Amino acid sequence: MKNPNVLVIGSGVAGMEASLILGEAGQKVYLIERKSLIGGQTIKFEEVYPNMECATCMIAPKQQEILQNENIELFLLSEVEQVKGSVGEFKVKIKKKARYVSLANCIGCGACYEPCPVSLENEFEEGLSKKKAIAVPCPGALPNVPTIDPENCLRLNGKKKECQACKEACMFDAINFSEKDEILDLEVGAILIATGFGLLDVKNLPQYGYRKAKNVYTAMEFERLYAANGPTEGKLVLRDGETPKSIAIIHCVGRSEQGYCSGVCCMYSTKFSHFLKHKIPEAKICEFHTDLCIPGKSHQKFYQKILNQGVDFIRFDDIKVEEKNGKMQVIYKNGNGEKAKFIADMIILSAAMIPGGDTESLAKTIGISLDKKGFFSTQSEKLSPVATAVDGIFVAGCAEGPKDIPGSIAQAEAAAGKILSILR
Amino acid sequence: MNEKIGVYVCECGPNISERIDIDRVLEEISSAEGVKVAKKFGLLCSNDGKNYLADEIKKEELTHLVVAACSPREHEQTFMNVCLEAGLNPYLFQLINIREQCAWMISDKEEATRMAIKYIHAGISRVTLHKPLLKKELDSIPDVLIIGGGISGIEAALCLAGKDRKVYLVEKTELLGGMVKKFSELLPYQGSNLAVIEEKIEQVQNNENVEILTSSEVEDVRGFLGNFEAVIKSKSNGSGTKEIKIGAIIVATGFKLFDPKNTPQFGYGKIENVLDALEFEEMSASGKILLKNGNPPKSVALIHCVGRNEKGYCSKVCCLYSIKFARHLQDKLPGIDVSEFYSDLCLPDKADQDYFEEAKKKGIHFIRADDFELKEKDGKINVEYKAAGGKKDSIAVDMTILAPAMVPSEDTSKLAEILNLPLDETGFFKEVHEMLDPISTPIEGVYVAGCALGPKNIPESIIQSQAASGKILSSLIPGKKIEPEVKVSEIREEFCTGCQTCLSVCFYGAISFDEYKGISVVNEAICRGCGSCVGSCPSGAIRSKHFTYPQLYREVLQALR
Amino acid sequence: MKQDFKPNLVGFLCNWCSYAGADLAGSSKLEVKPYLSVIRVICSSRVNSNLVLNAFLWGADGVLIAGCHPGDCHYEKGNYYVRRRFALLKKILETLDLEPDRLQLSWISASEGKRYAEVVNKFAEDITRLGPSAFHTNPNI
Repeated sequence: MKNPNVLVIGSGVAGMEASLILGEAGQKVYLIERKSLIGGQTIKFEEVYPNMECATCMIAPKQQEILQNENIELFLLSEVEQVKGSVGEFKVKIKKKARYVSLANCIGCGACYEPCPVSLENEFEEGLSKKKAIAVPCPGALPNVPTIDPENCLRLNGKKKECQACKEACMFDAINFSEKDEILDLEVGAILIATGFGLLDVKNLPQYGYRKAKNVYTAMEFERLYAANGPTEGKLVLRDGETPKSIAIIHCVGRSEQGYCSGVCCMYSTKFSHFLKHKIPEAKICEFHTDLCIPGKSHQKFYQKILNQGVDFIRFDDIKVEEKNGKMQVIYKNGNGEKAKFIADMIILSAAMIPGGDTESLAKTIGISLDKKGFFSTQSEKLSPVATAVDGIFVAGCAEGPKDIPGSIAQAEAAAGKILSILR
Repeated sequence: MNEKIGVYVCECGPNISERIDIDRVLEEISSAEGVKVAKKFGLLCSNDGKNYLADEIKKEELTHLVVAACSPREHEQTFMNVCLEAGLNPYLFQLINIREQCAWMISDKEEATRMAIKYIHAGISRVTLHKPLLKKELDSIPDVLIIGGGISGIEAALCLAGKDRKVYLVEKTELLGGMVKKFSELLPYQGSNLAVIEEKIEQVQNNENVEILTSSEVEDVRGFLGNFEAVIKSKSNGSGTKEIKIGAIIVATGFKLFDPKNTPQFGYGKIENVLDALEFEEMSASGKILLKNGNPPKSVALIHCVGRNEKGYCSKVCCLYSIKFARHLQDKLPGIDVSEFYSDLCLPDKADQDYFEEAKKKGIHFIRADDFELKEKDGKINVEYKAAGGKKDSIAVDMTILAPAMVPSEDTSKLAEILNLPLDETGFFKEVHEMLDPISTPIEGVYVAGCALGPKNIPESIIQSQAASGKILSSLIPGKKIEPEVKVSEIREEFCTGCQTCLSVCFYGAISFDEYKGISVVNEAICRGCGSCVGSCPSGAIRSKHFTYPQLYREVLQALR
Repeated sequence: MKQDFKPNLVGFLCNWCSYAGADLAGSSKLEVKPYLSVIRVICSSRVNSNLVLNAFLWGADGVLIAGCHPGDCHYEKGNYYVRRRFALLKKILETLDLEPDRLQLSWISASEGKRYAEVVNKFAEDITRLGPSAFHTNPNI
């Protein structure tokens, strides 16, 4: 008799889609999420290509369904510690970190943020703004309940044990400093890994000038700059307060180091140009790429539209960013072998997609191998692109390899389908 | 008026109570028509609050419930559940937003209180017009029709067929296997040989829950999710037709290749030894790679992106299969000179770049070029091109293999009409939502998978088939009834003029025209309740069952008091 | 008299985008002028011409219809239909001796809380400037 419950690791688009399909079918889903909110990376975007649809609006109904579906039990601030057993009878240990704020009592009024004396870098906002030690990562976060960062909270880290400014401001008795981390034991019949992606750390690629030249941004930082609910509310303002007049977007950052094309960067870089052209019509925008990877049905048309709007697309063989006389220069060798340079106020680096979270340790815990590129390995030789070598354990989304949102959703639906077939 | 309306104002801690004079609100609204009781409570969404409401409903024998609290997007379902459990029809309820859109946005307490009173009056006035809508349940058939017997169709059949669920696999030609069966090999990380495809074909043939209908086509389809009827015409059985009843349909009709005759510069059909990709696959599958004169080629040019500009999209798979061809040629004909001509290399999968790098190391030339002109010269093919940088050049080869764009298969438009499915600008089937629902169509229960949706490689086609199967496995469970949307539209026959405006605006195909009566009819099993039809009906014949015109009318009236 | 004039405004907001945006404006504690009464509809295309015209006839000084951005409609095409209807309605308002600007259409997404507040406040300002409508019935004016 197989255990009908399913463990889904990761609440991005893939994890949510699979959970909803499994939940609708009547299976009980334990949805584990490492962070304090659901929605993965997509909620960081303002718009998605090629239709420029509002990312948060698009995904909000799914997030709401996850929070309200009776068959889905959500564990936030949680990670998998141990997996034992086999298909139909896995025994999983989850470590659930303390949130210190009750999900049941908190109504999301936000009265506790202001009195908190601690200000720290907001990781969700890619360090572009600060937040308090008790905070939600961004406006509109779901669930709309804050978390206390125990390392920075003065009371929890021992620096000022009597501080309870947040608790005093709360009218709903939602704050509990004595909450403890928990270890939970779950029994499931199947496991789905949907831990998503991150971007390659460009600090390790000094030729791109990140952090040396202030106005060099990673793609994720730019997404937050662009977002209406972001640190600048969508206003295009550089770190020094200026509005950029010439912008370089460099594709393929980390491509040769990682050894694969991430498939989505050409399109999202073009999306950036679309936004930039709209916000600053007189700006000079240059996209630097090696090969253009725009395989979707409607992608080429979108690229053509941006090209016609006067955005330059320059093919490069070699590229680097240098600071000279306070200005940033993109120095490159173009496709014909000629050397040239482009002076930019703002540089955006479209970096390679890498597996999200702590993939290596999760792989070891679950007992799944990673492929040469560091992503979870599937039985692709058997043409089973969601099944891993272990029966009952599946992968979906960018955890398996770089892909776009529809690709992740389809893979999540496929994995849910496969899980339903084995559990029924 | 026998209503007994219970009005409960939530204090939401200090969130509402500090910004609105709730006592004054209660005073003002308790005298409204139909109100039996008007009270306040600390936090209605808490367990205490919910129990309190349930008790009140029973104690006061309420006929309608009005709660003034937070946004309905937050807790409408919560309180509807309370009504259900307390024995009150959940649609005889209205949740009024006096928090997000009142208390939190208006700092002047007087104004906020005034607004709250207005909104609550509107809710009380409106709720008496709510109808006690009931949930419906429909029987459903779990069986599935799959149109197309290629790799996508076969995969879906294998995922779905079971003792509780029969699958009909309809294939136009005599054989299963589609395009993939013509290939000589797959890419190495997709499976080192075609045996896995043969295995799948055999599995589906041996599966007693799959009825395979080759040499057959779908002629007609009617119905909706859980209850479709399809007519299949067989070309073999003396042209008989067969009627089947299914609950869902997967369209997996694959692709065909762009005809390079439309791009005469490549000399296809005119110059000897210029082949397209499928012809080369067949040639290598036969084991003999030969020129027309019977000799093996000593030099080959592979030209990517044929028809790309004409069609306006990149077909994603051609760079990779061209590299596959190049390496295959080197394996079978050692010493052969192979050149690949491309505009942009499309290598989107994680293993692709390594595959390409290895090809380069094996001495395959990769040349970025466009502006081609192929001519016959001295028994060879002279490929003239313009390289990156603008320099014109040419190369003489024995054989040229063209990689043409992938286009929709032959009967796509015909099938689209039969199933009432939209096609997009490229001619492929159009998914309902490019981002979040890449394999569904606007017709609930009808899915598309594989290259019928657009160019993709084999693993992606398989994922899409598995995804469509996943959705069916989840929504069409043997024995489980289907619960369609409750707040649908309905048409009053006597007012319908038969203009069919509603039909034209319904994105989901939920409205049909009754020729005999000359009126439009709503299929409540398909209707999503958006109200587009209601908004566009010139005679007011069509109305919503909830958010009716009189209900909204009352809200407007109260707003303008 | 114009300074004391408090316009009576009605807004039809679609459930999926604009109503959510309004909620976000509220959660962000953004201030709006208290003249707009919000009526929730499932899709902006539900707002038929009767409702709008009658709202004016019953004394609304301004009517706002808000929906999802083009391309984002939860029901795919609803907002396109209401856009067409809106263009027609503006023409009809002229025949009723009403300034066409009294009817406004706005696309507001679920994440645009700030924008919602800006749209509503500007709408209130615009209508205040236009003054009471020809059908205004508020005796307090």
